[in-house]
Amino acid sequence: MLNIALPKGRLGDKVYELFASIGYDCSEIYSDNRKLVFENKENGIRYLLVKPSDVAIYIAHGAADIGVVGKDILDEGDFDIYELLDLGLGKCNMCVAAPNDYKEDFDRPLRVATKFVNIAKNYYISINREIEIIKLNGSIEIAPILGLSDVIVDIVESGKTLEENNLRVYEKIMPISARLIANKSSYKFKGDEINVLIEKLKKELDK
Amino acid sequence: MDNFLSTLSKEDSLTYELSMLYKQWGYKEYRMAKFEEYSFYSDNRDFLSSKGILAFNNSDGRLMALKPDITLSIVKNAKLSDSLTKLYYNESVFRMSDSSMDYKEIKQTGVEILGKIDEYLISEVIMLAAKSLKTVDKDFVLSVSHMAFIPSLLDELKISENAKQNIVSFVQSKNTHDLISTCEKFGVDAGKTALLAKLAGVNGKIEEVLPELKELACNDGMKKACDELEFIATSLKKSSFADKLYIDLSVVNNIKYYNGIIFQGYVEKAPNAILSGGQYDKLAGKLRENTQAIGFALYLDNLNFYYKKKRDFDSDILILFDSNDRSVSLLSLVESFVEKGFSVRVEHQIPEGYKAKTVYSFENGALREVL
Repeated sequence: MLNIALPKGRLGDKVYELFASIGYDCSEIYSDNRKLVFENKENGIRYLLVKPSDVAIYIAHGAADIGVVGKDILDEGDFDIYELLDLGLGKCNMCVAAPNDYKEDFDRPLRVATKFVNIAKNYYISINREIEIIKLNGSIEIAPILGLSDVIVDIVESGKTLEENNLRVYEKIMPISARLIANKSSYKFKGDEINVLIEKLKKELDK
Repeated sequence: MDNFLSTLSKEDSLTYELSMLYKQWGYKEYRMAKFEEYSFYSDNRDFLSSKGILAFNNSDGRLMALKPDITLSIVKNAKLSDSLTKLYYNESVFRMSDSSMDYKEIKQTGVEILGKIDEYLISEVIMLAAKSLKTVDKDFVLSVSHMAFIPSLLDELKISENAKQNIVSFVQSKNTHDLISTCEKFGVDAGKTALLAKLAGVNGKIEEVLPELKELACNDGMKKACDELEFIATSLKKSSFADKLYIDLSVVNNIKYYNGIIFQGYVEKAPNAILSGGQYDKLAGKLRENTQAIGFALYLDNLNFYYKKKRDFDSDILILFDSNDRSVSLLSLVESFVEKGFSVRVEHQIPEGYKAKTVYSFENGALREVL
């Protein structure tokens, strides 16, 4: 039995459809209820629906064997897991964004507002820029408008939210997409099952 | 004795069983002080898997550390014999826990050989690592790797340390998609990138994978490593766990310290590697002249959680007695039960939630079963 952790929400729905299309369906999942665990004994799978930011935690602790999670969440945490496949779903970019008329002032530390504290820190360490971090939990775009920070580090999908708030992409940090991850111990003991699934996924994604 | 062992927690019974195992294979127990000078660890910080070191000032003002690692201390302090020094230990190390960012005491047991390391000794250590894992759980996997493959390849690349560190983390997470794009970004040539990606994906039972590995081996170091792996595979072929030995080249250690075989062990119920080891001649040579070394450590913390012992009863027998009853025969009655191998608790009344197989009450010098 493979335990698969999926992120609740839009990405999770897309991923489930992908898995179902290669024979890992579990029709029960469509029933409108509040259950979080769905099992299909014939296919030998059990889906767990968890908060997107918790997927990697479940995998790292072995509560699920494999899962799908955004690269942003993986890089923000530090998880001892295998990252086996880039599913190419939910593509977007981790960016530094700033007001349209922003000019960087290099004679003082940069003030950065973000949800992704570790990603921002690591990025600025890599270019040797001193920063002050302001951790926010949402509505990041508002920070530079109110003078709370110089720039923000956030996920940019279409750029529409930025545009509506008079912001623009200042620097691209890295591309983001959904990744298939596995618990290290599970991969040792259920490697064959996991590899079969990966091969099927690869074929489907190459179509 | 078996009855007694079954009542111990996983950690305690393992400590006992593993000590027996190592003693039988001729290893001597090594005990050490809990503290060491801080500077010793800060000088060898890269060797430590955890970054935090718990330090304090001793009475004469020297900065001391609670041991974050046993191997370093053994290599530095053990009295070397003129031939081989074979040691095992049961000790605690103090490390920063990743999850709570707090210091944690971690029980560790392991073996080390110092001296001239040859292929026989490497096989012996691999055998002991496998037997140690089997003691924890019959479902185990020992993943073997070699420094001559990915670490040596990376060492040759002319890219920054930071970039190498990035690539190592992709190798360790079997992330070939980001490995390839990062190598391209840093200008690693396409042939080497492809070889790195292929090697990172090598994973399978030792005998099945060796032919593939031999084909990929493109320099003398890798070919020698294949010979070493073949020697191990052949030596262990007759053992009952030959099919538990895997080659997994995504196991990578620090090239400043390790040189030969490296390995990690997994058991089915624990989510991370519980055993890790390898040949570390470079570290040994740095601390002791002309010394080679190999060893492994088994982390026992958390095993009590993953291998919970279900106890139906707190003791076999519970005897209730009244303090006013001054009968002298109770003590010898209890002793006779204990000598028969039962666990017995004597109480005034049944403690809350307490479960015993049989409950007696002691009245007028005799036991009466309470239903």
